[in-house]
Amino acid sequence: MNVTLTVNGETRSAEVPPETTLLVFLREYLNLTGAKTGCDIGDCGACTVILDGKAVNACLMLAAQADGRDVITIEGLATREGLHPLQKVFEETGALQCGFCGPGVILSAKALLDENPAPSKQEIRNALAGNLCRCTGYVKMIDGIQEVAETMRSVPTPALPAASKGEQKHG
Amino acid sequence: MKPFGYVAAKDCEHAVALLAQYGKGARVLAGGTDLLADLKFSPHPPPEVVVDVSRVKEMKGISLTDAGLRIGAITTHGEIIESSVVQQVMPALADAAGVIGAHQTRNLGTLGGNLMTCVPSMDSGPTLLALDAQVTIAGPAGRRTIPLSELFVGPRRTSLQPGELLVDVLVPKENLNKPTGFQKFGLRKGQALALVNAAASAWMNDGLFSEPRIALGAVAPVVIRAPKAEAYLAGRPVSEEAMAEAGRIAATEAKPITDFRASAEYRRDLVAVLVKRCLVAALGRATPNQKELAS
Amino acid sequence: MADVLDVLEKDHVATESLRRSDQALRLPVVAPPTSLPLDPPLVPQVGEQTHAVGLRAQRPDSRNHGLGLTRYIDDIALPGMLYAKIKRAGISSARIVRMDTSKAEAMPGVHAVLRGSEIPTNVFGTSIVDQPLLADPIVRQAGDGVVAVAAVTEQIAQAAIDAIEIEYEPLPGVYDALQALEPGSHKVHGGDTNVYARKVIRQGDVEKGFAESDRIYEGRYYTPGIEHAPMEPFTSIADWDANGRLTVYASIGRITLARVDLSRTLGIPISRIRVIGTVVGGNFGGKNEIRHEPVLALLAKKAGRPVKGRFTRVEEFIASTIRHAFYMDYKTGVTTDGKIIARKVRMVLDGGAYCSFSETTLGKACILSTGPYVIPNTHIEGQVVYTNKTTAGSMRGFGAPQVCFAYESQMDDIARDLGIDPIELRMKNFFRDGSMTSTGQVLHSVKVAESLQNAVKKFGWEVR
Repeated sequence: MNVTLTVNGETRSAEVPPETTLLVFLREYLNLTGAKTGCDIGDCGACTVILDGKAVNACLMLAAQADGRDVITIEGLATREGLHPLQKVFEETGALQCGFCGPGVILSAKALLDENPAPSKQEIRNALAGNLCRCTGYVKMIDGIQEVAETMRSVPTPALPAASKGEQKHG
Repeated sequence: MKPFGYVAAKDCEHAVALLAQYGKGARVLAGGTDLLADLKFSPHPPPEVVVDVSRVKEMKGISLTDAGLRIGAITTHGEIIESSVVQQVMPALADAAGVIGAHQTRNLGTLGGNLMTCVPSMDSGPTLLALDAQVTIAGPAGRRTIPLSELFVGPRRTSLQPGELLVDVLVPKENLNKPTGFQKFGLRKGQALALVNAAASAWMNDGLFSEPRIALGAVAPVVIRAPKAEAYLAGRPVSEEAMAEAGRIAATEAKPITDFRASAEYRRDLVAVLVKRCLVAALGRATPNQKELAS
Repeated sequence: MADVLDVLEKDHVATESLRRSDQALRLPVVAPPTSLPLDPPLVPQVGEQTHAVGLRAQRPDSRNHGLGLTRYIDDIALPGMLYAKIKRAGISSARIVRMDTSKAEAMPGVHAVLRGSEIPTNVFGTSIVDQPLLADPIVRQAGDGVVAVAAVTEQIAQAAIDAIEIEYEPLPGVYDALQALEPGSHKVHGGDTNVYARKVIRQGDVEKGFAESDRIYEGRYYTPGIEHAPMEPFTSIADWDANGRLTVYASIGRITLARVDLSRTLGIPISRIRVIGTVVGGNFGGKNEIRHEPVLALLAKKAGRPVKGRFTRVEEFIASTIRHAFYMDYKTGVTTDGKIIARKVRMVLDGGAYCSFSETTLGKACILSTGPYVIPNTHIEGQVVYTNKTTAGSMRGFGAPQVCFAYESQMDDIARDLGIDPIELRMKNFFRDGSMTSTGQVLHSVKVAESLQNAVKKFGWEVR
C-alpha cells in the first residue's frame, strides 16, 4: 500500500506492506535511522518521533496510521544555522553516553517544551517516563532540559552555531 | 510482524460492515498500542484484516450533550488529559488517563482501546464504572447502549459480538461534577501496570454519603464494583473513619490473585488503602458547601 | 677566580639573550579548539589532582548521538544483505530427537538454514569452552539456539523458523544454585558435579578469631540475576569476500577475543577474520564475547550474501548473559566495641547453563567479599555451579556489587545489635594507608574513610 506523509517538512512516499510500522518505514524505506529499535514494544522510547506535535512510539503504530500526517524525526531538528538548543545542551552537559536513547529523549523533550515552555522538574520527569536510558541516567538530561527552557524563554531566537562562541571569545 | 490486510474505515458503518464480513478474521485498530504489541509477538495466525478506525470522525472527541459527557472511543488518553471539559466535570478520569503507560503511549492509545482490551488492570475502567458510564455499540443490526459493567466479561473478553464496534462512552448528565477520586498503585510511577487501581464517587450533600460507588481494578477477572462497601457508606456521615471502614470492606470483596507482580494479600491491603484515598480525594473535590458539612 | 666569574657572567648573558629571542619568535596565540574545556589544563600533571568533580565533561562523539547521525550496527545495511533468525529452544533441559527443516528450506526467500552439526567447532567460551553456538543435541537453557535461518526479510526468516519442527525429549533440570550442589541433582554438563570453579582465600586463623570474638553474627544473603538490558540489542553483520576473508561488524566490546573465538569455531586462520567494532549502544559487560557471530558467518557463507542478525528484546533476556545470582553466608566475629576480628564467607554463584565469565566473577567476588575493612582472620570459600537457567557472565563489577550487598547489610545488622552508629562502625574498621587485604595486598592512597565522611555530610546523615 502507498503511504505518503510529511517528514521533517518534506513530503515522502513509499509502497509498503500493511504490517510495516512507522519505525520500519522511517528506518528502512526513508533511511532515517535516527529513531532506534530498542524493545520494539513501546517500553524503551528509543523510537520516539513527533507526530502532529505529539511524541509517540514509532514502533507501536503502523505507517498507514501516519499516512497524511506530519512527522518530525531527530534528523529534522538541526538546521544549517546550528544545532537545536536541546542537541547543544545535551552535548555540553554530557547527557548522552552511548547515545542510543538520545534521539528519543531529545524528541520527547522537544514535544514537552513546545507545549510547556517552563516545565518543572517533575513535569520533565513525567515527559521522559517513556524513555529509558541505561548509561548516563536522567539527571543531566533533566538539568539540560531545564537549562534549554530558561534560555529559550529569554532568547526567542535559536542558539548561535557552536563555532561562533569561540570566535567571540578570541576574536 | 506476520502479514495482514489493512483497511482504513471511513465511518462507523464502513467499519461495522468490514467487521461483519471478516468476523473473527478481523481486528480493530484504534491507537494500536495494545494491538501491535499483540500482533508482533503472538504465536497465533495473524488477522485477515486490520480495520483501522483511527480516522472515523464520529468516534473522536469529547462533547457535552443533553445526555451527559460523551467521549468518542478513539479519543486518546492525551486528549482526555488536556480536555478542559473533562478537567472541569470529571477530573478523576483525567487522573486515570494520566497514569496510563507513558507520554508516547498516551498520545496513541485510546479510551475505547483501553476498555476493549479488557485487561483487569485497565486504568480507565474504575472511574467510568464509578460514574455509571454507558457505552454505545454499533453492529450490523444497528446501535445499542449498555451499561459499561456489562461490557466486561473476563480477562481480554468483552460482551461484543463479532461485527460489533464500540463507538463512544457516555457519563450521564446527573453524574457530572460528582465528587470522584482515582488512585493507582504500580511498581513504579511511569510505564507500569496497576497492582491495584480504584475509583470512588459519592455525593456528600448534607454531610452524608449518597449514591456511593466504589470500583476496583486488577483484583478480579474484570474491573468490579464493591457493593458491600457502597452499602456501608450510603447514608452514613462523611468521616475519615467511615472512609477507612469502606476500604476495609472493599478489601473483603476483592478477589485478587498472586502473580509475579504482587501477592494476593498485598493487593488486598492495597485495596483498603486506595479506596480510602479515593474517598479522601473525592471529598477534596466536593463543593465547599459539601466539605463544610463534612468537617 | 676572575676568569671563572667571567665565564659565569657570559653564560648568564647568553641565557638572557636566548630568552629574549625566544619570546620574540613566539607566534601569535592560536585559538584553542572550542569543544574542549580550557580550564583546567587538558593534560593532568603528575601527582596533581585534576578538577573533574562538578565540571561538565563533553564526549567527542556526543554531537553525532544527539543529531541521530551515529551509525550503530543496526543502522548499517550492506547491499544484498539477508536477515537471520535463530530458533530458541523454549525448553530448558532436553535432547533434540528430531528436527525437520524441509518446510523452511522450501519457503521462497529463505537462502540458508544452519544446524549445530554443520558448525566446524560448535563450542565457545572465554575460559571453560563449554557453550554451543547451536545446541546439538543437548539443550541446557531455554534460550539455547537450535537452528538458524537467513532470508531476504526478517519477516520471512521468522516465518521460516516458526515452520521448523523440532521434537524434544525433556530431561530433568536444576533451577537453583543450592539444589545444584546436592549429590542427587541433575548434572547439567554430565559428570558427577555441577561445580565448575572454586576459590578459597584464607588469612590468619578464622576459628581462633571467632573464639576471641565477643559476639558472632551469621546471616544468609541472596541477590538475584539481572539482565544488562542495553538499549541496543545484540546485532551483527557477517560478510565474506571472494578470497574467503570474513568481515564481521558487531557492537562487541572485545573485538580481539571475538576474532579468536570466530577463528576457533569456524576453523579458519585468525588472519582471515576482520572484526569491526561499531559504536556500542550500551554494553555493561554483556557484549564482551561472541554470541551469534559464527552462526551469521556460516549462514552468509552458505547463502553467498551478507547476513545481519538482531536479537529481539526477549532474546536479550534469555539468550545473552545476565548477572550471577549469589547465595552468600556471612559469619562475622566482633568485639563489643565494634572491631571486626574474624569473618567467614561462603558463597554459591548461579552460573546458569554455561561458564562465560564465571571464573572472573567468582574471583573478584571472593577477593572483595570481606569489604573495605581490616579483618585479621578471614576464610572465604566460593563456588559457581551450572543450572538450567540463563547463562551468567560478566556484568559491571564482576561480583563486587553482590558481596557488597551482603557485607554492608550485615554491617547494619551488627551496628543495630551493638547499638553503635552505622557510620561509626564502618569508620572503626575501614582500611587505612598500609592496610592489608584478605589476599595480602598492601593498600596505598586509601580514601574510603574520607569518602564516607564527605558522603555523610552530603546526604545529611546527622539530620536523618
